[in-house]
Amino acid sequence: MPSALLSPISLAWLGLLVPLVLLYVLKRRRETRIVGSTLLWELAMRDMRAERPWQRLVPHLSLLLQALVLILGALALARPAGAGQIPSGARVAVVIDTSASMAAHEATGSRLELARAQATAIARALPPGGEMMLVAASADPVVLVPSSHDSAMLERAIEALLPTGGGGALDRAVALAAERLRDAPTGSRIIVLTDGAMDGTIRLESQVPIEVRTIGEALANDAILAVDVRPHPTEDQPDRAEIFARVARFADDDHDLWVTASIEGRGLVASRRVHVSHERPSSVVLSADLPPDPDARAAVVVVELSSADPGDGAGAHATGDALSLDDVAVAPSPGARRLPVFLVGGAPDSIRRVLLADRDVDLFATSVADLDARRARDPDASDLDGVFVFAGRTPSEPPPGDSVVVAPEGDTVFGASLGPAVRDTRVVSWDEADPLVRFVRFRDLHIREVRPITGASARALLTVEAGTAIAGLSRPDGEIAILGFDPDQSDWPDHPGFVVFFRNLLERARARRAAGGIHPGRLGEPLRIPAPDGEVVVVRAPDGSSESATSRGGVAIVATRAIPGVYTAEVGRRRLHALRNLFDAGESDIRPRARFETREGGAEVTTDEAREPREAWPYLGGALLVILALETLWATRKNAT
Amino acid sequence: MSLLSPDFLRRLARLRLAVRRKFGGASAGSRRSTKRGSSAEFAEHRPYYAGDDVRRIDWNAYARLEELVLRLFVAEDDLTLYLLIDRSASLGVGAPDTKLEVAKRVAAGLGYVALSGSERVSVIPFSDRLGAPLSPVRGRRRIGTLLRFLEPIEASGDTDLGRAVEEFLARSPRPGLVIVVSDFLDPAGFKRPLDRLLSARHEPVIFQVLDKEEMDPTPGGDLVLVDSERGSQVEVSLDERAVRAYRKRLEAFFDQISAYAKQRGLYYQRVGGDIPFDEALVAYLRAG
Repeated sequence: MPSALLSPISLAWLGLLVPLVLLYVLKRRRETRIVGSTLLWELAMRDMRAERPWQRLVPHLSLLLQALVLILGALALARPAGAGQIPSGARVAVVIDTSASMAAHEATGSRLELARAQATAIARALPPGGEMMLVAASADPVVLVPSSHDSAMLERAIEALLPTGGGGALDRAVALAAERLRDAPTGSRIIVLTDGAMDGTIRLESQVPIEVRTIGEALANDAILAVDVRPHPTEDQPDRAEIFARVARFADDDHDLWVTASIEGRGLVASRRVHVSHERPSSVVLSADLPPDPDARAAVVVVELSSADPGDGAGAHATGDALSLDDVAVAPSPGARRLPVFLVGGAPDSIRRVLLADRDVDLFATSVADLDARRARDPDASDLDGVFVFAGRTPSEPPPGDSVVVAPEGDTVFGASLGPAVRDTRVVSWDEADPLVRFVRFRDLHIREVRPITGASARALLTVEAGTAIAGLSRPDGEIAILGFDPDQSDWPDHPGFVVFFRNLLERARARRAAGGIHPGRLGEPLRIPAPDGEVVVVRAPDGSSESATSRGGVAIVATRAIPGVYTAEVGRRRLHALRNLFDAGESDIRPRARFETREGGAEVTTDEAREPREAWPYLGGALLVILALETLWATRKNAT
Repeated sequence: MSLLSPDFLRRLARLRLAVRRKFGGASAGSRRSTKRGSSAEFAEHRPYYAGDDVRRIDWNAYARLEELVLRLFVAEDDLTLYLLIDRSASLGVGAPDTKLEVAKRVAAGLGYVALSGSERVSVIPFSDRLGAPLSPVRGRRRIGTLLRFLEPIEASGDTDLGRAVEEFLARSPRPGLVIVVSDFLDPAGFKRPLDRLLSARHEPVIFQVLDKEEMDPTPGGDLVLVDSERGSQVEVSLDERAVRAYRKRLEAFFDQISAYAKQRGLYYQRVGGDIPFDEALVAYLRAG
């Protein structure tokens, strides 16, 4: 068993061997007794000294036993412990791999459940003075519980661990733990609980010992690696689309699978039997009609794998494999590209022309007064879902989603302030890194009159001598572009950048709509749902379960479990949804294959399945007591005879 | 008479001192003497010389031999008992009674027997030299004198048996029975002094007095043993092994004295430990 001395300074107790031996070398304190004559005693002592040497060692058995007691005592105080053991007073950081592969089911439960059990055992076996830190090794490692001896709190945090997509950054998680253990006492270490289902060599850098406990066997798994839905309309079938799916098998043999496509909430639209090779992924193309729903909402395509072998279907998963997270995938249909754009007020002709140039844009003309009237007629009516282009007058509150405000009236608009008009100003700079002005050049732009935009929340996209001419406002549910000038009063429409700017705006709006109005994220990560402060947002997961959270700072963060599919949220009068997929070949390959190593000169990395969380010093202490008893027995018998 | 109990004295009254040699006494007594005397026991004839007592002429021999010869008879003298008592400091140890106490009882017992037998008794305490002696006394009535002399003797001084014997002999005592009561733990040895007594026609009797702890030490403890006379120290861990070595040496010492006594035809008796003084005395007296 590899072991270390947790308190090597305690070996200084071995220095007591010197006085111990001296006690035998130096004269003992003896009782004085007067006898008639020492004549015979002198002769007897001379006889004893003349006897053979090995007999002279007999009285020194006591010295031997006492030396053993001292050595064992010093060793016990040095607190030897195996690499897998928690010494008293030490701090241990338990890094749990929460990547998606940890959701794979072993014979006795999921890998994450097995890891949780081990972590719980460590928390319950914390010695007096020992502390444990819990680190989740997700894509973004996080310290869930700083060093604590509160086993109840640790167990609660351990039980709350869930797998997430995006892989597990073990190296960064270990680095995070090592940083926290930088000043930890001797004997502290990092325990990594992982399935090792990662490619290549994982370098773990730490100054404290690292113990890697691997969990799980090399299990077979079928996975959907990618899904895409492209329009393929015909005259007879305008909603015809092709569904592309990339399917892989991570095993040592081939397998036949059924790949089925359905419209979320409506039913099966296509299926195909596919022979999946274990050597390379297979591509499947399914054709189906994907019409919008009665509310004109674009369909969401659900692709699922199921086993072609009826015997496999008897298990918990349709494919019968160990990991179910990659057996289902969802994708927006081409109908999601249709983007309603509401022209509120008299939009400049240049903008109208640019919008009309996009064939997937549906233009609607309205006014602020019409919008107010619609809300007044039906307060519960759903919000209009599209891009709003305001010209001149604007409402007091921006509508949900993305908006463009052109040459607004008044001194303020959606929290930004407008300065007095400035004529014939020149371009100074623009933010090339901002997605809205990507590939847009404003050089040689002439603006006849502009009202500079100011405000803490307004980021400058285009800056002229008078100030910010184009500003961007970021909101949880979209973004707003404010133009402090009328494009028709400039030569911007003559520039290619004018078209590109609005194209960028429309594509970002489309992406947001395709994502369901919720920020994209990894499987299992909390959903960040834009909602007014204080509003309770309820999210329905693909498995029918619900989670809720109250919005703070314009965002409701709702925890979700790692279930691929469509998450729907009701926020006021709006219905949002989020699509979550695994789509990670590295995670779908659940076979342990990673190699762990440390940097040269760093701490040792050991791997082990499980260890008794105990130090060795109790055993040494027991041996010490036994020897003490022997010594006492020896001493008493010696005096008794 | 604290030294001797009445019962023990009654036992002693029926016993006499055992003497293996004949001595010339100072006055007529009950012991065969080396001299010719007037007892009824014929000894020898010798020629008549002028001045001899004509009453001793053996006329029957004259009739046969026609020579005047005298009939000589064995004389009967009294015996002088010398009690040389070791009073050195080494005799001052022992429990419950010190070795000196035991030695004094031995002396008292023997003196009592001697006085009861009309023998002359003299007591000479010694350590590294002779102490003031009890001049020879005779008669049962002098038992009190003997005991009163023994009572106040105290242990002190070193043992020097050789010097004590030389001083004893220097006083030209008449040959007699010399009871040497000592532990004989004298680094100078015991043979030469006893040989000197023999050569002076004394009959030494050896009474070796030892304490129970000296004869059978109790194991246990780390001790510094201090010699009561010389002051020398011996560090001893009184374990079984040390006791065994001591006993071995003690047995060798006993054997040495015993062999010497046997060689010289002397009586040797140990007293102390498991051998009570009264039994030792009775054993000696019965041996005679």
